[in-house]
Amino acid sequence: MTTPLWLIPAIPLVGFAVNGLLGTRLGKSFVSAVGVGAAGLTTLAAYSRLIPFATGSHATVVEPVTSWIAVANLSIDLSFRLDPLSALMLSFVTFVALLIHIYAIGYMHGDDATDAGYARFFAYLNLFLFAMLTLVLAESFLLMFVGWEGVGLCSYLLVGYYFDREYAAAAGRKAFVVNRIGDYGFLLGMFGIFTAFGSLNYSEVFRKAAEQPATFSPALSLICLCLFIGAMGKSAQVPLYVWLPDAMAGPTPVSALIHAATMVTAGVYMVARCNVLFRLAPEVMLFVACIGCFTALFAGTIAVAQNDLKKVLAYSTISQLGYMFLACGVGAFSVGMFHVMTHACFKACLFLGAGAVMHAMSDDLDIRHMGGLKAKMPITFWTFLLATFAISGIPPFAGFFSKDAILSSAFESPSLGKLLWFVGLFTAGLTAFYMYRIVSLTFFGQFRGTKEQEHHLHEAPASMTFPLIVLGFLSVVAGWLGLPAVFGEHANIIEPFLAPVIAPIAGHEAGHEALPHAVEWLLMAVSVAVASSGLYLAYAWYAKQGGRTPARIAAAFPAAYALVADKYRIDELYDALFVRPYTRLSHVLWKVVDVLVIDGFLNAAAFIVELTGDFLRFLQTGNVRNYALTFFLGLVALLIFVVGAL
Amino acid sequence: MIGSIPLSHVLLTSGALFSIGIAGALLRRNAIQIFLSIELMMNAANLALLGYGAALGTHEGQILVFFVIAIAAAEASVGLAIFVALFRHTETIDVNKINLLKW
Amino acid sequence: MDRLFFDAAALVAIVFAGLMVIGRNPVKSVLALVVSFFGLAVTYVLLLAPFIAALQVIVYAGAILVLFLFVLMLLNVGPEKPDGARRPIQSILGGLSVVVFAGLLLGMFRASGARVPVMAQPAELADPAALARVLFSDYLLHFEAVSVLLLAALVGAFVLARRENT
Repeated sequence: MTTPLWLIPAIPLVGFAVNGLLGTRLGKSFVSAVGVGAAGLTTLAAYSRLIPFATGSHATVVEPVTSWIAVANLSIDLSFRLDPLSALMLSFVTFVALLIHIYAIGYMHGDDATDAGYARFFAYLNLFLFAMLTLVLAESFLLMFVGWEGVGLCSYLLVGYYFDREYAAAAGRKAFVVNRIGDYGFLLGMFGIFTAFGSLNYSEVFRKAAEQPATFSPALSLICLCLFIGAMGKSAQVPLYVWLPDAMAGPTPVSALIHAATMVTAGVYMVARCNVLFRLAPEVMLFVACIGCFTALFAGTIAVAQNDLKKVLAYSTISQLGYMFLACGVGAFSVGMFHVMTHACFKACLFLGAGAVMHAMSDDLDIRHMGGLKAKMPITFWTFLLATFAISGIPPFAGFFSKDAILSSAFESPSLGKLLWFVGLFTAGLTAFYMYRIVSLTFFGQFRGTKEQEHHLHEAPASMTFPLIVLGFLSVVAGWLGLPAVFGEHANIIEPFLAPVIAPIAGHEAGHEALPHAVEWLLMAVSVAVASSGLYLAYAWYAKQGGRTPARIAAAFPAAYALVADKYRIDELYDALFVRPYTRLSHVLWKVVDVLVIDGFLNAAAFIVELTGDFLRFLQTGNVRNYALTFFLGLVALLIFVVGAL
Repeated sequence: MIGSIPLSHVLLTSGALFSIGIAGALLRRNAIQIFLSIELMMNAANLALLGYGAALGTHEGQILVFFVIAIAAAEASVGLAIFVALFRHTETIDVNKINLLKW
Repeated sequence: MDRLFFDAAALVAIVFAGLMVIGRNPVKSVLALVVSFFGLAVTYVLLLAPFIAALQVIVYAGAILVLFLFVLMLLNVGPEKPDGARRPIQSILGGLSVVVFAGLLLGMFRASGARVPVMAQPAELADPAALARVLFSDYLLHFEAVSVLLLAALVGAFVLARRENT
């Protein structure tokens, strides 16, 4: 008796309903129990399907539930799909979400949230999980879009959780609006797919594309570009990344879950899902790779100059997402998904650690006020350090294997491959640098904050440290699923697992020749060297010197430093280019079109009626003789008419 | 002898009486006199009816006139009652002065 | 012969109708109308409707116009005083329209009168018994209805003219 697939998203939906409707009346413990319980149950349900799937035949399973839309020639069923790709996503989405739910109990408890706020938070978290699972398990583009929009909505709801703070509310709006712009691209892509393929189901679309590539290739460039615009919005690539740093205004569990591990990876998931389509549009693939690479570098440079702990992590997320798109762009979709998985583990760990630090620092996130927290918060420190090594790409931690695989795929790809590899390599060094910078400034050295903050410093409660430990452990071992070929013929587990998803296309050669082992070892060595030098530089400048050299560099180039610290003023650019003209246009539409023209027209109509009435009332003389005369005149007129007719 | 009244004479008389009645109704200010003019108009119609009744050799003309006279009686009594009631309030029967429904 | 009588009676009716309309004193108007009605009664007789003529004299001239006189006396209405408020439009337009109307009627009757024959009158038309027979057989319902109407008028007149008790 297998758990039906639809149950997996349904459980958190029930959790949402219960917490949303009854939570305020039943107290915090009840809410926590329902919220975490729903996450836990759905994880169990997921793994009860995953384990047989992974150990068994990995054959794709499609489970239809009901017919959804049946209009003319558009027929879409509500069906769920379990194949290697969605299985992979399912495995870490549910598990990481469960850990974060547990963490949130401790985190939100300290918050002086009322019962209503607490219930609302967990309800929205469950709703998010429902939407994300729908997105992952969907069998058609339309159902995926339902999940896509749902996670966008939950992002808005949760980022704007502290809705009475103007900044947080604005951040929520910004997230939603920028996502919407991307969603527009996704919609256009869907329309294109339906027009070209006559269906929105994955099975049909991908089968048709694989069987007759030549028929569909021309249309697919445009379609894939539109789909990628959707991915750009959801996964915060240039130029639609501006919402992610602002979204840090939400509670830290939200940042960890939505903006690190799950929602933002939906774009990568979508691109990987549509790999058949993208492979038939090589120009778009190149574009994807370039955007990914550029975003990685761009966000990395900004992260170096930020002083807010969560902002650094946000830009780091954007940068790592760039890596994932780089991988997909050069055709290594399974590598991209591998990085998604490892990134989920270590980034969630980093964010949760930041949350613990934030609690200890009485909600202050400025790293210039921190220091020496290692002694006060050992568990947080050690897990944060492990995750930092993972993200920097130090073997044998998780990030190394995925990042290295990305870089070698880029290296061996034709045309711009070497350039992409080089930029990726440089960014890896940058990543190591800025990550160790915040580690040094936060955990080492002398404490630079206020006296009250110092008194308040304490380790996080068990509900918060437990997930940290689990995620820290995963940051170490998760990478071992994707050992590169140099370690042996069957060392890589993940690539063959995902291979069925990268379906063969008629007439296109599959795969690529592997690099010679010597080159691979060389590339690995170079990556390790670059990452280590990044770490060492940060250690030297910050831990040993206490930041004198970077301060001198910043003083030497004040304008450049200000520009980078100010995130290149992109927000201000958008404001001037788009927001202000749009506001002005709205103002004109309001004052002129609505008030003057439309209202004026209506008022004029009423005025004319009034005027006519004013004029006509003089007919009412009150004098009966006049009325009699009027009758008689009418009679005469009639008679004239009759006589005339005669 | 008997059959020598041309219908046109009858109709002309009727028409003349009716016109005089209309003139009286439109041009007089005294309410009673307006009412009298209306009675005159009704009589003009009676004459026309009788004329056609005789010309067509049927009783219908006389029957209709019979009823018209009865109804005229009813109408006159009610109308005069209204005038009386009006006069009590306004002390005048000048139609020009009874104009409460004026704009 | 009949024609002569008819013309004379008609002339009387018209002349006195005109006098009625022109007269200032309402009482004089009523009296002029009475004479006019007498003239009309004569024409009715010549049109072979003696019963109707009798009704005209008894009911119309004798009851309705007497009622008018009665009300005039009751309200003590004097001759019409020429007052300030002139209504030229009413007068001019009224006069004009009446003239036009008269002209139209004249035209109509002249045009159609040639086609209508001189009246051939069967003698029994004048017989009141025959009239009664038709009245109480074919028109019985109308007769009863008119009596109800008269009742309604009676009650209405009574209610309308009643003095309101404080």
